[in-house]
Amino acid sequence: MADNAKSITVSIVTPDGQVYENKTPMLVVRTINGELGILPNHIPVIASLAIDEVRIKQLETDQEDDEIAVNGGFVEFSDNVATIVADSAERQNDIDVARAENARKRAESRIQEAQQKHDDAELARAQVALRRAVNRLHVAHR
Amino acid sequence: MAESLMDVKRRIDSTKKTHQITSAMQMVSTAKLNQIQKHTGTYQVYASKVESIVSHLAKAHLMTSGAGVTNSNSNTISVSELLAQRPVKKSGLLVITSDRGLVGSYNSNVLRQTNDFMSEHGLNTDNAVVLAVGGTGADFYKKNGMNVAYEYRGVSDVPTFKEVREIVKTVTSMYHNEVFDELYVFYNHFINRLSSGFRAIKMLPISEETFAQSEKDNRKAKDTRVDVGPEYEMEPSEDAILSAVLPQYAESLVYGAILDAKTAEHASSSTAMKSASDNAGDLIDSLNLKYNRARQAAITTEITEITGGLVAQE
Repeated sequence: MADNAKSITVSIVTPDGQVYENKTPMLVVRTINGELGILPNHIPVIASLAIDEVRIKQLETDQEDDEIAVNGGFVEFSDNVATIVADSAERQNDIDVARAENARKRAESRIQEAQQKHDDAELARAQVALRRAVNRLHVAHR
Repeated sequence: MAESLMDVKRRIDSTKKTHQITSAMQMVSTAKLNQIQKHTGTYQVYASKVESIVSHLAKAHLMTSGAGVTNSNSNTISVSELLAQRPVKKSGLLVITSDRGLVGSYNSNVLRQTNDFMSEHGLNTDNAVVLAVGGTGADFYKKNGMNVAYEYRGVSDVPTFKEVREIVKTVTSMYHNEVFDELYVFYNHFINRLSSGFRAIKMLPISEETFAQSEKDNRKAKDTRVDVGPEYEMEPSEDAILSAVLPQYAESLVYGAILDAKTAEHASSSTAMKSASDNAGDLIDSLNLKYNRARQAAITTEITEITGGLVAQE
């Protein structure tokens, strides 16, 4: 066990394969109950993630953090290796802002329709879609 | 054997064209097979991680919460519903076949063995509904009078997760609305480029056997499995994680089955086209022999006629 490990390895796995792998001194994720920071030598943990961004600090202090929009899933950490398992994940520069903007507008109109029809299930789905679109826009504009 | 020269020539040309087509189809199928195998490799990493976490959490859940059925009032399916057994009045049969033909014995294999399964378990039109992914299965069951509650045609050659999402949503909402009380999935599992085997898996409700099967598959991806021991901290709680991950697991099961079935379809099509090309090649060879014999016979006849004419003149 590397007791003075300076970084952890983060990899993000989606059904389409591994989309990200890097070494970082700190990983910050958002769970349903709030933020969770993972430093080297953290005890093994499994946490389920909210539809939000994941911040990966860079080893060089002058480089910007890597931010990745994650669509729910969970993170598993043990032995200084963190694996984020999500349905989909997009890096900041991969996000198509125009598409995300359109998705946001569509989700908002769906929410309005669902509220008028009092359709709870459709409302919940539309809210999730809105959350995803907003998350993407947020990460893209950072 | 009194075929004219021109007839044999015509047959040779047409067989050559057929050979061109079948070998092109074989190459296309092989290329698609390679593509989908690569995609499955990357997908397995994801699937084994989800499966190992879910099986650990769900087994604990199954043991502690018992088999009580709690039908929630909301319109979305809950964790306990996905796990709970309920009295089976109707069974759902998800049959994965191909849309196109020229795939050899792929479709007949699935349909025949599904029918065997149905007669073994006493399933018929009254107590079972068919959900068909793939045109061949849909048409077959419609013709045989089974109730086809859902059909999906046009699965792409390398299916993406988004496509499967729609199928999974429909299937789980049907399960929630009690269109059926248990779900079996029937498909051809890819073993290697020459052979595939039939598989029947009970997918809903999720139970020990579902895990046993997917564990066997993921055993090959040993280094990507997560060994969840008691030292793991669960954030925010085991139940919260389970309710987030279990739907992911159900989706990954269906997606895995569809990927597997598509891989077997490409392998089957490639093998079928290869044997068609080989047969066409053999036919061309024997027709060429026939052509040469016919040509030599024609020349001999001509010479005989000329010499005969010469002799008759003298």
